[in-house]
Amino acid sequence: MLTEGQVVVHESLGDEEQRLRRLVLKGPIARTAHAGQFVAIQVQDSSISSFDPLLRRPISIAGISSERDEITLLYRIQGRGTEILARAKCGERLSVMGPLGKGFSLPEKGELWLVAGGIGIFPLYPLAQSALAQGLTVRLFWGGENKSFLESAGLSSWKALGIPLHLSTLDGSLGQTGLVTEQAQELLKKSSASGGQIRAATCGPKKMMQAATELFKNYKVSVEVSLEERMGCAVGACLGCVCTLVDEAGVLIHRKVCQDGPVFRGEEVVWNESC
Amino acid sequence: MSPVNLSTQFAGIKLRNPILTCSGTYGFGEEYVAYCPLEALGGITLKGITPLPRLGNPVPRLAETPAGLLNAVGLENPGLEEFLKSYLPKVRKLPTAAIANISGFSLEDYVLLARALQKDSGLAALEVNISCPNVKHGGMHFGTDPQSAQEVIAAVKAVTDLPVIAKLSPNVTDIVGMARAVQLGGADALSLINTLLGMHIDINQQRPVLANTFGGLSGPAIRPVAVRMVWQVFQAVDLPIIGMGGITTWQDAVEFMLAGATAVSIGTGNFVNPLVPLEILQGIQDYCEKRGLASVHDLVGLAHRA
Ligand SMILES: Cc1cc2nc3c(=O)[nH]c(=O)nc-3n(C[C@H](O)[C@H](O)[C@H](O)COP(=O)(O)OP(=O)(O)OC[C@H]3O[C@@H](n4cnc5c(N)ncnc54)[C@H](O)[C@@H]3O)c2cc1C
Ligand SMILES: Cc1cc2nc3c(=O)[nH]c(=O)nc-3n(C[C@H](O)[C@H](O)[C@H](O)COP(=O)(O)O)c2cc1C
Ligand code: FES
Repeated sequence: MLTEGQVVVHESLGDEEQRLRRLVLKGPIARTAHAGQFVAIQVQDSSISSFDPLLRRPISIAGISSERDEITLLYRIQGRGTEILARAKCGERLSVMGPLGKGFSLPEKGELWLVAGGIGIFPLYPLAQSALAQGLTVRLFWGGENKSFLESAGLSSWKALGIPLHLSTLDGSLGQTGLVTEQAQELLKKSSASGGQIRAATCGPKKMMQAATELFKNYKVSVEVSLEERMGCAVGACLGCVCTLVDEAGVLIHRKVCQDGPVFRGEEVVWNESC
Repeated sequence: MSPVNLSTQFAGIKLRNPILTCSGTYGFGEEYVAYCPLEALGGITLKGITPLPRLGNPVPRLAETPAGLLNAVGLENPGLEEFLKSYLPKVRKLPTAAIANISGFSLEDYVLLARALQKDSGLAALEVNISCPNVKHGGMHFGTDPQSAQEVIAAVKAVTDLPVIAKLSPNVTDIVGMARAVQLGGADALSLINTLLGMHIDINQQRPVLANTFGGLSGPAIRPVAVRMVWQVFQAVDLPIIGMGGITTWQDAVEFMLAGATAVSIGTGNFVNPLVPLEILQGIQDYCEKRGLASVHDLVGLAHRA
């Protein structure tokens, strides 16, 4: 769907040094959106038309309120495009394509383990909400740079969900020192729940998702991963965003992150592809 | 005032209007169905196909540049057999004209593809992408050597009954020479232009952004080059031209038509806004009305009077 989203809220999230923004858009996308899907948002300054930057920016849907017709996007100002996006004012209308791609799936019952690295946390929040609404047990493993980051990127709203949180930071300023996957591993070792009762979903840096996938594989836990790639069309037409998967027959195939993903089964992803 | 006549006919190709979409930017048509009413388009050009399936280049395949896009997809496509089996039946059902785009790495590749694609396939025409290295001749690009270009087009022309459109590469010093060569080969029409070879280096990582190092530049950044080439070729060669390269607004499209394009094609512009083709059509129509032109065709080459 190509829509116009009206900016309802656009604010800084937490510490300004984290350069995080929260953008709430009113429009019909909320009605059909699922956790793990994303939008392609135009980042042109609406007051002066310009083709620089040219392309839309892919941003995950971090909150869905179908009753209010609102979606929330959480993003980090990374470069020129997000810098320009950050200038959009309340009441302004932004051109948004979405909901795009295929999101996470939910098991019928059992436990859902979420593993997030950095701002990979954003698409996992609506997933946790749907899982809880469905009566699943949810726990979060989340690793970030430091305390300031975790607090800025929404720690309090995760606390409000009342689920077990396993936090880690690189500098030890909050939670354990070290990598997020180490915490998941400790718990898997101790856990009485067998792999069959647990499902996992992960989003974050590629190396972290790869480590998480390998870890869960050892415990026979199936895991869904959310991949990122540079996008052109965002609808499956340009083949700019492919990832490499291995199919059941062991053959390497390409799939489009924008259309077939961004969420894939961890076991099928070829992480160090060079074909 | 009577409505402007939008229908366009050239080289045995009949279109309801002169707005097309570019090969490689519009998949096999289905991808954009939810975003743009295809029945409103003059036609679409399909992703380039090769005889065998290709996985293409590693990622990153895309890099954004000022008002432009570098791509190095590497001609990823399902191959001829899969195209005929799984894609063509769906393409035939699309509510608009479809032009196939073929690529090869030898003369034989092109012949094989062209032989398989005839009028009874339901396609409106065959666009021949000659911007590929000829692996049998030391990798010299078909599209940069007039002799090879002429040979490819003649070989294709000999085995298909579809109208043949030669798609020229702008990476040459003499575009007119190339246009003349494919005219000699028997081309029915020309597509101008394919992407311009470029590159982008990440200064933090100190290495090229694209996995393939080089990529083809498209988007508004290349438009002036494309308009110049359409202008020159229009003056020198008597073949209908499909103009493309950075068209994103109706003004751009009008500019191409004034330079000599009979039809225009939109590529990267669809990524910016999938409704761009419709906005362009409306804009051209309004422009013609205001100028008292009865048909869009009256615009073609108008800027050459003087
Ligand atoms: C499916 C998906 C979901 C995403 N969700 C979020 C999110 O919820 N929050 C968030 O902060 N960021 C998210 N990103 C990353 C976000 O798209 C980039 O940070 C953003 O495009 C950067 O644009 P820029 O112009 O500010 O940066 P620049 O670095 O100047 O961008 C230059 C070019 O590179 C591309 N690019 C840069 N970084 C990335 C990246 N990591 N992934 C893909 N393309 C990139 C841009 O789109 C642009 O074309 C997501 C990316 C994808 C693919
Ligand atoms: C992602 C991408 C893929 C392309 N693939 C093809 C292709 O397979 N065959 C071809 O002839 N041209 C291909 N092109 C070139 C376009 O058809 C067109 O000539 C060029 O992009 C200029 O138009 P534009 O600036 O409107 O995009 C591709 C362009 C892009 C951006
Ligand atoms: S971005 Fe074009 S196919 Fe995914």
